[in-house]
Amino acid sequence: MSGAVGGSTVVDRLKAKTGWKGGERVTLVEAGQVRRFCDAIGDDNPRWREEVPPTFVVALASETPDFREALDYGKGWLNGGDRFEYLEPIRVGDTITARSTLVDVYEKQGTSGGLLFLIVETEYVNQHGRTAVRLRGTRIRR
Amino acid sequence: MMTTPPEIGQELPELVKHPTTRQLVQYAGASGDFYEIHYDQDFARSTGLPGVILHGLLKAGFLAQLVTSWAGAQARLKAFDVSYRGLDQPGVPCRCQGVVRSIEGITAELEIWTEDPEGRRTTVGNATVELS
Repeated sequence: MSGAVGGSTVVDRLKAKTGWKGGERVTLVEAGQVRRFCDAIGDDNPRWREEVPPTFVVALASETPDFREALDYGKGWLNGGDRFEYLEPIRVGDTITARSTLVDVYEKQGTSGGLLFLIVETEYVNQHGRTAVRLRGTRIRR
Repeated sequence: MMTTPPEIGQELPELVKHPTTRQLVQYAGASGDFYEIHYDQDFARSTGLPGVILHGLLKAGFLAQLVTSWAGAQARLKAFDVSYRGLDQPGVPCRCQGVVRSIEGITAELEIWTEDPEGRRTTVGNATVELS
């Protein structure tokens, strides 16, 4: 676990990155990729032969934000939660541009030490320029 | 899939998953999340975990399956949020459950969760579905 001094330094450095945007990642949604994703979940709903299932967008996320600083805090990552907002369906053959933004950084004291929270919002825009999905993820170092 | 209009308090048919380490590797490849706590036992333990654990987003995928298979092909999922409260390990059944909390017009609000064999809710969340 990080000491109080080192820990706070890491938190300050990450807080300074709030508003940071990752690069855009453009992906053509392919039937095989969607099928492998459904197979991994074990969801054989025939609807997903043309449309993507609700959590598929995570496979299109922009490059993982460069949070090397965060690695100095705690021993590992945990996923705290995810919130998806669906505006338009995504179908096989669509071209989706994903881009993530670091929107918040904060620290909390847990029962076994400090927890560092990074809130990342990712927007998925289709080939018509319309936002199809918004995802707000909570990632935790502990 | 629903055969009659839903009612407040109605429970969704339970979906029980039996995750394996093989499935975690499959999900790592399909999602692009190659964090080692999901397939490398030694690495997982070195971070203080009891062993490899399920991806939170795999559990989200299970819960999305629960909701969409119940709601039917014409329904539209509008919003879906999950909090990962507890760890789930492969080899342990993951029971996915849900209940209708409110209905307004064609929009239903559901409470959804995953439960371990001890009855602990390891993932909790909500879904907003437009039924047609």
